[in-house]
Amino acid sequence: MTKDEASTKKIKLPRTAKGKKPQYFSDPTIDKLLSMVLTLMGELSVTRDRLDTVERLIEKNKLFKQDEIENYDIPEDVNLMRSERRSAYIARVLKCVQDELETLQQKGDGKNVDLAD
Amino acid sequence: MIPQTQHEMFATPDHDEASRQEFVSDFRVHLASRVFPGNFPTYYNRVLPEFAKAHGHEPKTRHEVRKVMTKDPYYQLWSAMQRSSQEMIWDSVIDSVERHLPDLIQKAKQGKGEGSLTLDPGLIAPKYLTGADIHLQPGAYHSTFVDDDVAEGAIYDRGTYIYAMGGMGPENDGLGRITYNFFKNQYPERKPERVLDMGCTIGGAVSYWALQEPNIEFHAVDIGAPVLRYGNARAKALGAAVHFSQQNAERTNFAENSFDIVTSHILLHETSKTALQNIFNESYRVLKPGGMMIHLDLPQAHGVPPLEAFLFEWEIYNNNEHFYGQLRDIDLDDVAQQAGFKKEDIGIKFAGSTWMEDQTPYAEDSFEFPITIAVK
Repeated sequence: MTKDEASTKKIKLPRTAKGKKPQYFSDPTIDKLLSMVLTLMGELSVTRDRLDTVERLIEKNKLFKQDEIENYDIPEDVNLMRSERRSAYIARVLKCVQDELETLQQKGDGKNVDLAD
Repeated sequence: MIPQTQHEMFATPDHDEASRQEFVSDFRVHLASRVFPGNFPTYYNRVLPEFAKAHGHEPKTRHEVRKVMTKDPYYQLWSAMQRSSQEMIWDSVIDSVERHLPDLIQKAKQGKGEGSLTLDPGLIAPKYLTGADIHLQPGAYHSTFVDDDVAEGAIYDRGTYIYAMGGMGPENDGLGRITYNFFKNQYPERKPERVLDMGCTIGGAVSYWALQEPNIEFHAVDIGAPVLRYGNARAKALGAAVHFSQQNAERTNFAENSFDIVTSHILLHETSKTALQNIFNESYRVLKPGGMMIHLDLPQAHGVPPLEAFLFEWEIYNNNEHFYGQLRDIDLDDVAQQAGFKKEDIGIKFAGSTWMEDQTPYAEDSFEFPITIAVK
Protein backbone atom coordinates (compact mmCIF):
# COMPACT_ATOMS: atom_id res chain seq x y z
CA MET A 1 0.00 0.00 0.00
CA THR A 2 1.42 3.42 -0.94
CA LYS A 3 1.49 6.23 1.56
CA ASP A 4 -1.40 7.91 -0.30
CA GLU A 5 -3.46 4.73 -0.28
CA ALA A 6 -2.76 4.25 3.41
CA SER A 7 -3.83 7.78 4.16
CA THR A 8 -7.11 7.45 2.29
CA LYS A 9 -8.09 3.85 3.18
CA LYS A 10 -10.96 4.09 5.63
CA ILE A 11 -10.24 2.56 9.02
CA LYS A 12 -13.27 0.89 10.55
CA LEU A 13 -13.59 1.55 14.25
CA PRO A 14 -15.56 -0.68 16.63
CA ARG A 15 -19.14 0.36 17.30
CA THR A 16 -20.10 -1.93 20.19
CA ALA A 17 -18.92 -1.36 23.76
CA LYS A 18 -17.36 -4.33 25.52
CA GLY A 19 -19.36 -5.36 28.61
CA LYS A 20 -22.72 -6.96 29.41
CA LYS A 21 -25.73 -4.78 28.61
CA PRO A 22 -28.53 -4.88 31.18
CA GLN A 23 -31.96 -6.06 30.10
CA TYR A 24 -34.52 -3.35 30.82
CA PHE A 25 -37.83 -4.93 29.89
CA SER A 26 -39.45 -8.31 30.43
CA ASP A 27 -38.78 -9.29 26.84
CA PRO A 28 -35.36 -8.50 25.29
CA THR A 29 -37.12 -7.78 21.99
CA ILE A 30 -38.76 -4.77 23.61
CA ASP A 31 -35.28 -3.44 24.44
CA LYS A 32 -34.33 -3.74 20.77
CA LEU A 33 -37.53 -2.13 19.57
CA LEU A 34 -36.97 0.83 21.83
CA SER A 35 -33.44 1.23 20.46
CA MET A 36 -34.79 1.14 16.90
CA VAL A 37 -37.51 3.68 17.68
CA LEU A 38 -35.05 6.09 19.27
CA THR A 39 -32.58 5.73 16.40
CA LEU A 40 -35.37 6.39 13.90
CA MET A 41 -36.39 9.43 15.91
CA GLY A 42 -32.83 10.69 15.53
CA GLU A 43 -32.68 10.02 11.80
CA LEU A 44 -35.93 11.88 11.19
CA SER A 45 -34.49 14.81 13.11
CA VAL A 46 -31.36 14.71 10.92
CA THR A 47 -33.51 14.58 7.78
CA ARG A 48 -35.58 17.55 8.96
CA ASP A 49 -32.42 19.59 9.56
CA ARG A 50 -31.09 18.72 6.11
CA LEU A 51 -34.41 19.59 4.47
CA ASP A 52 -34.37 22.90 6.32
CA THR A 53 -30.92 23.59 4.92
CA VAL A 54 -32.08 22.70 1.41
CA GLU A 55 -35.12 25.00 1.63
CA ARG A 56 -33.01 27.89 2.88
CA LEU A 57 -30.44 27.42 0.15
CA ILE A 58 -33.18 27.29 -2.46
CA GLU A 59 -34.53 30.58 -1.14
CA LYS A 60 -31.05 32.09 -0.92
CA ASN A 61 -30.40 31.12 -4.55
CA LYS A 62 -33.72 32.69 -5.51
CA LEU A 63 -35.30 29.54 -6.89
CA PHE A 64 -38.41 29.97 -4.79
CA LYS A 65 -39.41 31.33 -1.40
CA GLN A 66 -40.12 29.18 1.65
CA ASP A 67 -43.69 30.42 2.00
CA GLU A 68 -44.46 28.98 -1.42
CA ILE A 69 -44.31 25.63 0.38
CA GLU A 70 -47.18 26.65 2.64
CA ASN A 71 -49.10 28.19 -0.23
CA TYR A 72 -48.57 25.31 -2.63
CA ASP A 73 -51.90 24.35 -4.20
CA ILE A 74 -51.75 20.58 -4.45
CA PRO A 75 -53.04 19.43 -7.85
CA GLU A 76 -55.63 16.64 -7.83
CA ASP A 77 -53.36 14.07 -9.45
CA VAL A 78 -50.55 14.82 -6.97
CA ASN A 79 -53.03 14.46 -4.11
CA LEU A 80 -54.14 11.10 -5.42
CA MET A 81 -50.51 9.92 -5.84
CA ARG A 82 -49.66 11.06 -2.30
CA SER A 83 -52.74 9.33 -0.92
CA GLU A 84 -51.79 6.03 -2.54
CA ARG A 85 -48.17 6.41 -1.44
CA ARG A 86 -49.30 7.20 2.09
CA SER A 87 -51.55 4.13 2.27
CA ALA A 88 -48.71 1.91 1.05
CA TYR A 89 -46.31 3.51 3.59
CA ILE A 90 -48.72 2.92 6.48
CA ALA A 91 -49.33 -0.67 5.36
CA ARG A 92 -45.56 -1.23 5.14
CA VAL A 93 -44.88 0.07 8.66
CA LEU A 94 -47.78 -1.92 10.10
CA LYS A 95 -47.05 -5.06 8.10
CA CYS A 96 -46.43 -7.07 11.29
CA VAL A 97 -50.07 -6.57 12.27
CA GLN A 98 -51.24 -7.68 8.83
CA ASP A 99 -48.99 -10.73 9.03
CA GLU A 100 -50.63 -11.80 12.29
CA LEU A 101 -54.12 -11.30 10.83
CA GLU A 102 -53.32 -13.45 7.81
CA THR A 103 -51.85 -16.14 10.04
CA LEU A 104 -55.00 -16.18 12.14
CA GLN A 105 -57.11 -16.49 9.02
CA GLN A 106 -55.01 -19.39 7.73
CA LYS A 107 -55.60 -21.20 11.01
CA GLY A 108 -59.21 -21.25 10.02
CA ASP A 109 -60.72 -19.98 13.25
CA GLY A 110 -64.05 -19.50 11.52
CA LYS A 111 -63.78 -15.74 11.69
CA ASN A 112 -62.94 -14.92 8.12
CA VAL A 113 -62.93 -11.16 7.94
CA ASP A 114 -64.25 -9.70 4.74
CA LEU A 115 -61.42 -7.25 4.00
CA ALA A 116 -62.35 -4.05 2.23
CA ASP A 117 -59.86 -3.11 -0.47
CA MET B 1 -25.46 22.63 22.48
CA ILE B 2 -23.26 25.69 22.77
CA PRO B 3 -20.70 25.24 19.98
CA GLN B 4 -17.59 23.29 20.95
CA THR B 5 -14.39 25.17 20.19
CA GLN B 6 -12.63 23.45 17.33
CA HIS B 7 -8.86 23.06 17.32
CA GLU B 8 -6.66 21.49 14.66
CA MET B 9 -7.14 17.97 15.98
CA PHE B 10 -10.91 18.19 16.19
CA ALA B 11 -12.92 15.72 14.09
CA THR B 12 -15.32 18.26 12.64
CA PRO B 13 -18.71 16.69 11.91
CA ASP B 14 -20.32 17.14 8.49
CA HIS B 15 -23.86 18.47 8.10
CA ASP B 16 -25.75 15.33 9.04
CA GLU B 17 -23.24 14.14 11.66
CA ALA B 18 -23.54 17.50 13.41
CA SER B 19 -27.32 17.29 13.27
CA ARG B 20 -27.24 13.78 14.72
CA GLN B 21 -24.94 14.89 17.54
CA GLU B 22 -27.22 17.82 18.33
CA PHE B 23 -30.16 15.41 18.42
CA VAL B 24 -28.39 13.15 20.93
CA SER B 25 -27.59 16.10 23.18
CA ASP B 26 -31.14 17.48 22.99
CA PHE B 27 -32.49 14.01 23.68
CA ARG B 28 -30.29 13.80 26.77
CA VAL B 29 -31.42 17.23 27.92
CA HIS B 30 -35.04 16.10 27.49
CA LEU B 31 -34.40 12.94 29.48
CA ALA B 32 -32.65 14.85 32.26
CA SER B 33 -35.20 17.62 32.57
CA ARG B 34 -38.49 16.04 31.51
CA VAL B 35 -38.27 12.29 32.11
CA PHE B 36 -35.79 11.67 34.96
CA PRO B 37 -37.73 13.81 37.48
CA GLY B 38 -40.66 11.37 37.14
CA ASN B 39 -38.64 8.85 39.10
CA PHE B 40 -39.47 10.78 42.26
CA PRO B 41 -43.29 10.60 42.13
CA THR B 42 -42.89 7.05 40.83
CA TYR B 43 -41.00 6.18 43.99
CA TYR B 44 -43.08 8.10 46.50
CA ASN B 45 -46.50 7.36 44.99
CA ARG B 46 -46.07 3.82 43.78
CA VAL B 47 -42.87 1.99 44.67
CA LEU B 48 -42.47 3.13 48.27
CA PRO B 49 -46.10 2.40 49.39
CA GLU B 50 -45.87 -1.08 47.85
CA PHE B 51 -42.58 -1.77 49.60
CA ALA B 52 -43.81 -0.43 52.93
CA LYS B 53 -46.97 -2.53 52.68
CA ALA B 54 -44.93 -5.66 52.03
CA HIS B 55 -42.13 -5.07 54.55
CA GLY B 56 -43.61 -2.80 57.18
CA HIS B 57 -40.89 -0.18 56.73
CA GLU B 58 -39.30 2.00 54.08
CA PRO B 59 -36.21 0.83 52.17
CA LYS B 60 -33.21 1.44 54.41
CA THR B 61 -30.46 1.36 51.81
CA ARG B 62 -29.95 2.37 48.19
CA HIS B 63 -29.55 -1.32 47.35
CA GLU B 64 -33.05 -2.05 48.64
CA VAL B 65 -34.35 0.85 46.57
CA ARG B 66 -32.56 -0.50 43.51
CA LYS B 67 -34.20 -3.93 43.83
CA VAL B 68 -37.69 -2.46 43.64
CA MET B 69 -37.20 0.59 41.41
CA THR B 70 -35.60 -1.48 38.65
CA LYS B 71 -38.87 -3.41 38.44
CA ASP B 72 -41.01 -0.31 37.99
CA PRO B 73 -42.04 0.37 34.38
CA TYR B 74 -41.49 4.12 34.58
CA TYR B 75 -37.97 3.71 35.87
CA GLN B 76 -37.31 0.94 33.36
CA LEU B 77 -38.30 3.11 30.42
CA TRP B 78 -36.27 6.13 31.62
CA SER B 79 -33.26 3.86 32.30
CA ALA B 80 -33.51 2.14 28.91
CA MET B 81 -33.75 5.48 27.10
CA GLN B 82 -30.83 6.86 29.07
CA ARG B 83 -28.78 3.81 28.10
CA SER B 84 -29.74 4.26 24.43
CA SER B 85 -28.80 7.93 24.58
CA GLN B 86 -25.34 6.98 25.82
CA GLU B 87 -24.85 4.44 23.02
CA MET B 88 -26.04 7.02 20.50
CA ILE B 89 -23.39 9.50 21.65
CA TRP B 90 -20.55 7.31 20.47
CA ASP B 91 -22.28 6.19 17.33
CA SER B 92 -22.89 9.81 16.30
CA VAL B 93 -19.25 10.73 16.93
CA ILE B 94 -17.42 7.72 15.48
CA ASP B 95 -18.75 8.54 12.00
CA SER B 96 -16.84 11.84 12.06
CA VAL B 97 -13.69 10.36 13.52
CA GLU B 98 -13.55 7.53 10.97
CA ARG B 99 -13.80 10.10 8.21
CA HIS B 100 -11.04 12.32 9.60
CA LEU B 101 -8.78 9.67 11.08
CA PRO B 102 -6.02 9.49 8.43
CA ASP B 103 -5.69 13.30 8.55
CA LEU B 104 -5.75 13.40 12.33
CA ILE B 105 -3.00 10.80 12.51
CA GLN B 106 -0.83 12.87 10.15
CA LYS B 107 -1.51 16.08 12.07
CA ALA B 108 -0.63 14.43 15.38
CA LYS B 109 2.66 13.20 13.99
CA GLN B 110 3.54 16.62 12.60
CA GLY B 111 2.37 18.73 15.52
CA LYS B 112 4.95 21.20 16.78
CA GLY B 113 5.09 23.01 20.05
CA GLU B 114 6.45 22.91 23.55
CA GLY B 115 5.84 19.85 25.67
CA SER B 116 6.51 16.24 24.78
CA LEU B 117 5.09 12.77 24.41
CA THR B 118 6.73 9.60 25.71
CA LEU B 119 4.95 6.34 24.94
CA ASP B 120 5.62 2.91 26.40
CA PRO B 121 4.46 0.14 24.06
CA GLY B 122 5.28 -2.38 26.77
CA LEU B 123 2.80 -0.93 29.27
CA ILE B 124 -0.04 -3.38 29.88
CA ALA B 125 -3.44 -1.78 30.46
CA PRO B 126 -4.92 -2.99 33.78
CA LYS B 127 -8.02 -5.17 33.91
CA TYR B 128 -10.09 -2.40 35.47
CA LEU B 129 -9.74 -0.60 32.13
CA THR B 130 -9.88 -3.52 29.71
CA GLY B 131 -12.60 -5.63 31.31
CA ALA B 132 -15.40 -3.49 29.97
CA ASP B 133 -15.48 -0.31 27.92
CA ILE B 134 -15.95 2.47 30.43
CA HIS B 135 -18.90 4.79 29.68
CA LEU B 136 -19.64 2.53 26.68
CA GLN B 137 -16.99 4.15 24.49
CA PRO B 138 -16.13 1.32 22.08
CA GLY B 139 -12.40 0.65 22.56
CA ALA B 140 -12.24 2.87 25.67
CA TYR B 141 -8.97 4.69 26.38
CA HIS B 142 -6.42 2.17 25.30
CA SER B 143 -7.43 0.48 22.04
CA THR B 144 -5.61 1.17 18.80
CA PHE B 145 -6.53 0.01 15.32
CA VAL B 146 -3.76 1.43 13.16
CA ASP B 147 -0.21 2.73 13.63
CA ASP B 148 0.03 6.05 15.48
CA ASP B 149 -3.69 5.85 16.24
CA VAL B 150 -5.48 8.83 17.82
CA ALA B 151 -9.09 7.67 17.29
CA GLU B 152 -10.07 7.09 20.92
CA GLY B 153 -8.77 10.56 21.80
CA ALA B 154 -10.81 12.22 19.07
CA ILE B 155 -13.88 10.17 20.01
CA TYR B 156 -13.48 11.11 23.68
CA ASP B 157 -13.13 14.84 22.92
CA ARG B 158 -16.44 15.16 21.09
CA GLY B 159 -18.24 12.31 22.87
CA THR B 160 -17.74 13.63 26.39
CA TYR B 161 -18.83 17.06 25.22
CA ILE B 162 -22.16 15.63 24.05
CA TYR B 163 -22.40 13.51 27.22
CA ALA B 164 -22.25 16.71 29.28
CA MET B 165 -24.63 18.42 26.84
CA GLY B 166 -22.12 21.26 26.48
CA GLY B 167 -21.88 21.61 30.25
CA MET B 168 -18.08 21.32 30.31
CA GLY B 169 -17.75 24.64 28.46
CA PRO B 170 -16.80 25.30 24.83
CA GLU B 171 -13.21 24.12 25.34
CA ASN B 172 -14.39 20.89 27.03
CA ASP B 173 -12.07 21.60 29.95
CA GLY B 174 -14.53 22.50 32.70
CA LEU B 175 -13.03 20.20 35.32
CA GLY B 176 -9.56 21.71 34.89
CA ARG B 177 -11.06 25.18 35.25
CA ILE B 178 -12.75 24.10 38.46
CA THR B 179 -9.59 22.71 40.08
CA TYR B 180 -7.37 25.55 38.84
CA ASN B 181 -9.67 28.40 39.93
CA PHE B 182 -10.43 26.62 43.19
CA PHE B 183 -6.72 26.11 43.88
CA LYS B 184 -5.80 29.73 43.08
CA ASN B 185 -8.65 31.02 45.22
CA GLN B 186 -8.19 28.74 48.22
CA TYR B 187 -4.38 28.50 48.26
CA PRO B 188 -3.12 31.79 46.80
CA GLU B 189 0.09 31.61 48.82
CA ARG B 190 1.24 28.44 47.05
CA LYS B 191 3.65 28.86 44.13
CA PRO B 192 4.03 25.43 42.55
CA GLU B 193 6.86 24.81 40.11
CA ARG B 194 6.14 21.23 39.07
CA VAL B 195 2.65 19.67 38.64
CA LEU B 196 1.58 16.12 37.78
CA ASP B 197 -1.90 15.26 36.45
CA MET B 198 -2.81 11.59 36.77
CA GLY B 199 -5.12 9.82 34.33
CA CYS B 200 -5.09 12.86 32.05
CA THR B 201 -6.88 11.21 29.08
CA ILE B 202 -6.78 13.93 26.36
CA GLY B 203 -5.29 16.47 28.75
CA GLY B 204 -8.25 18.83 28.87
CA ALA B 205 -7.67 19.73 32.52
CA VAL B 206 -3.86 19.83 32.57
CA SER B 207 -3.70 21.84 29.33
CA TYR B 208 -5.95 24.47 30.90
CA TRP B 209 -3.62 24.73 33.91
CA ALA B 210 -0.64 24.92 31.55
CA LEU B 211 -2.19 27.76 29.54
CA GLN B 212 -2.74 29.76 32.72
CA GLU B 213 0.74 29.01 34.11
CA PRO B 214 3.36 28.89 31.35
CA ASN B 215 6.18 28.99 33.91
CA ILE B 216 5.16 25.81 35.69
CA GLU B 217 6.46 22.44 34.45
CA PHE B 218 3.49 20.17 33.76
CA HIS B 219 3.52 16.39 33.49
CA ALA B 220 0.55 14.21 32.65
CA VAL B 221 0.21 10.44 32.63
CA ASP B 222 -2.32 8.00 31.22
CA ILE B 223 -2.46 4.31 30.32
CA GLY B 224 -3.82 4.87 26.82
CA ALA B 225 -1.58 5.63 23.85
CA PRO B 226 -4.30 6.97 21.51
CA VAL B 227 -5.65 9.46 24.05
CA LEU B 228 -2.11 10.63 24.86
CA ARG B 229 -1.19 11.12 21.19
CA TYR B 230 -4.37 13.11 20.69
CA GLY B 231 -3.89 15.05 23.92
CA ASN B 232 -0.32 15.95 23.03
CA ALA B 233 -1.37 17.18 19.59
CA ARG B 234 -4.33 19.06 21.07
CA ALA B 235 -2.14 20.76 23.68
CA LYS B 236 0.36 21.83 21.01
CA ALA B 237 -2.48 23.16 18.83
CA LEU B 238 -3.69 25.26 21.78
CA GLY B 239 -0.18 26.37 22.75
CA ALA B 240 -0.12 24.51 26.08
CA ALA B 241 3.22 23.03 27.19
CA VAL B 242 2.64 19.62 28.79
CA HIS B 243 4.91 16.59 29.03
CA PHE B 244 2.68 13.59 28.41
CA SER B 245 3.85 10.06 29.21
CA GLN B 246 2.23 6.66 29.00
CA GLN B 247 2.34 5.42 32.56
CA ASN B 248 0.10 3.83 35.17
CA ALA B 249 -0.64 6.35 37.93
CA GLU B 250 -0.39 3.51 40.45
CA ARG B 251 3.38 3.53 40.00
CA THR B 252 5.24 6.02 37.82
CA ASN B 253 8.91 6.46 37.06
CA PHE B 254 9.02 9.95 38.55
CA ALA B 255 11.45 10.51 41.38
CA GLU B 256 10.13 10.74 44.92
CA ASN B 257 9.69 14.23 46.40
CA SER B 258 9.60 15.80 42.95
CA PHE B 259 6.19 17.48 42.52
CA ASP B 260 4.55 20.42 44.25
CA ILE B 261 1.08 19.36 43.17
CA VAL B 262 -0.48 16.09 42.06
CA THR B 263 -3.94 16.33 40.53
CA SER B 264 -6.52 14.05 38.98
CA HIS B 265 -9.91 14.70 37.45
CA ILE B 266 -12.62 12.00 37.66
CA LEU B 267 -9.94 9.33 37.67
CA LEU B 268 -10.62 7.67 41.01
CA HIS B 269 -14.07 6.32 40.14
CA GLU B 270 -12.67 4.41 37.16
CA THR B 271 -10.10 2.48 39.09
CA SER B 272 -10.12 -0.51 41.42
CA LYS B 273 -9.98 -0.31 45.21
CA THR B 274 -6.39 -1.56 45.16
CA ALA B 275 -5.42 0.87 42.43
CA LEU B 276 -7.04 3.76 44.33
CA GLN B 277 -4.81 3.06 47.35
CA ASN B 278 -1.81 2.76 45.03
CA ILE B 279 -2.65 6.08 43.40
CA PHE B 280 -2.78 7.81 46.78
CA ASN B 281 0.45 6.03 47.77
CA GLU B 282 2.09 7.21 44.55
CA SER B 283 0.76 10.74 45.05
CA TYR B 284 2.43 10.79 48.47
CA ARG B 285 5.67 9.34 47.14
CA VAL B 286 6.18 11.86 44.33
CA LEU B 287 5.04 14.91 46.32
CA LYS B 288 7.69 17.13 47.84
CA PRO B 289 7.36 17.67 51.59
CA GLY B 290 4.65 20.32 51.88
CA GLY B 291 3.30 19.41 48.45
CA MET B 292 -0.43 18.98 47.89
CA MET B 293 -2.60 16.39 46.15
CA ILE B 294 -5.87 17.54 44.62
CA HIS B 295 -8.14 14.72 43.44
CA LEU B 296 -11.51 15.78 42.01
CA ASP B 297 -14.10 13.08 41.55
CA LEU B 298 -17.76 12.07 41.75
CA PRO B 299 -19.81 12.21 44.96
CA GLN B 300 -19.79 9.41 47.47
CA ALA B 301 -22.86 7.91 49.12
CA HIS B 302 -22.10 8.90 52.72
CA GLY B 303 -25.17 10.52 54.24
CA VAL B 304 -27.18 10.61 51.00
CA PRO B 305 -30.80 9.41 51.30
CA PRO B 306 -31.42 5.96 49.73
CA LEU B 307 -33.50 7.13 46.75
CA GLU B 308 -31.11 9.91 45.74
CA ALA B 309 -28.11 7.65 46.28
CA PHE B 310 -29.68 4.95 44.11
CA LEU B 311 -30.58 7.35 41.28
CA PHE B 312 -27.07 8.80 41.28
CA GLU B 313 -25.56 5.36 40.78
CA TRP B 314 -27.20 4.69 37.43
CA GLU B 315 -23.82 4.85 35.72
CA ILE B 316 -22.42 1.98 37.79
CA TYR B 317 -25.01 -0.48 36.54
CA ASN B 318 -25.84 0.92 33.13
CA ASN B 319 -22.82 2.80 31.83
CA ASN B 320 -19.95 0.37 32.56
CA GLU B 321 -18.73 2.61 35.38
CA HIS B 322 -18.42 -0.47 37.54
CA PHE B 323 -15.58 0.84 39.68
CA TYR B 324 -17.56 3.88 40.78
CA GLY B 325 -19.20 1.38 43.11
CA GLN B 326 -15.99 1.01 45.14
CA LEU B 327 -15.67 4.77 45.50
CA ARG B 328 -19.18 5.25 46.86
CA ASP B 329 -18.59 3.92 50.36
CA ILE B 330 -14.84 3.98 50.79
CA ASP B 331 -13.28 6.15 53.51
CA LEU B 332 -10.99 8.41 51.46
CA ASP B 333 -9.59 9.91 54.65
CA ASP B 334 -8.46 6.45 55.64
CA VAL B 335 -6.99 5.74 52.18
CA ALA B 336 -4.99 8.98 52.40
CA GLN B 337 -3.73 8.11 55.89
CA GLN B 338 -2.69 4.65 54.69
CA ALA B 339 -0.70 6.46 51.99
CA GLY B 340 1.20 8.40 54.60
CA PHE B 341 -0.70 11.67 54.94
CA LYS B 342 -1.53 12.85 58.46
CA LYS B 343 -5.20 13.09 59.41
CA GLU B 344 -4.99 16.82 60.14
CA ASP B 345 -3.54 17.42 56.67
CA ILE B 346 -6.44 15.72 54.83
CA GLY B 347 -9.75 17.28 53.87
CA ILE B 348 -12.58 16.95 51.38
CA LYS B 349 -13.80 20.19 49.87
CA PHE B 350 -16.51 20.81 47.29
CA ALA B 351 -16.38 22.80 44.08
CA GLY B 352 -18.76 23.00 41.18
CA SER B 353 -19.48 24.67 37.91
CA THR B 354 -19.54 28.14 39.49
CA TRP B 355 -15.74 27.85 39.34
CA MET B 356 -15.90 27.50 35.55
CA GLU B 357 -16.05 31.26 34.93
CA ASP B 358 -19.36 31.34 33.04
CA GLN B 359 -18.16 28.70 30.57
CA THR B 360 -21.10 26.41 31.16
CA PRO B 361 -24.78 27.00 30.36
CA TYR B 362 -25.70 25.08 33.52
CA ALA B 363 -24.13 27.32 36.18
CA GLU B 364 -27.49 27.81 37.89
CA ASP B 365 -27.73 24.12 38.63
CA SER B 366 -24.24 24.02 40.01
CA PHE B 367 -23.23 20.45 40.61
CA GLU B 368 -20.51 20.13 43.21
CA PHE B 369 -17.62 17.70 42.94
CA PRO B 370 -15.86 16.51 46.05
CA ILE B 371 -12.13 17.27 45.95
CA THR B 372 -9.85 15.20 48.18
CA ILE B 373 -6.98 17.36 49.32
CA ALA B 374 -3.98 16.33 51.37
CA VAL B 375 -0.67 17.96 52.15
CA LYS B 376 2.51 15.95 52.67
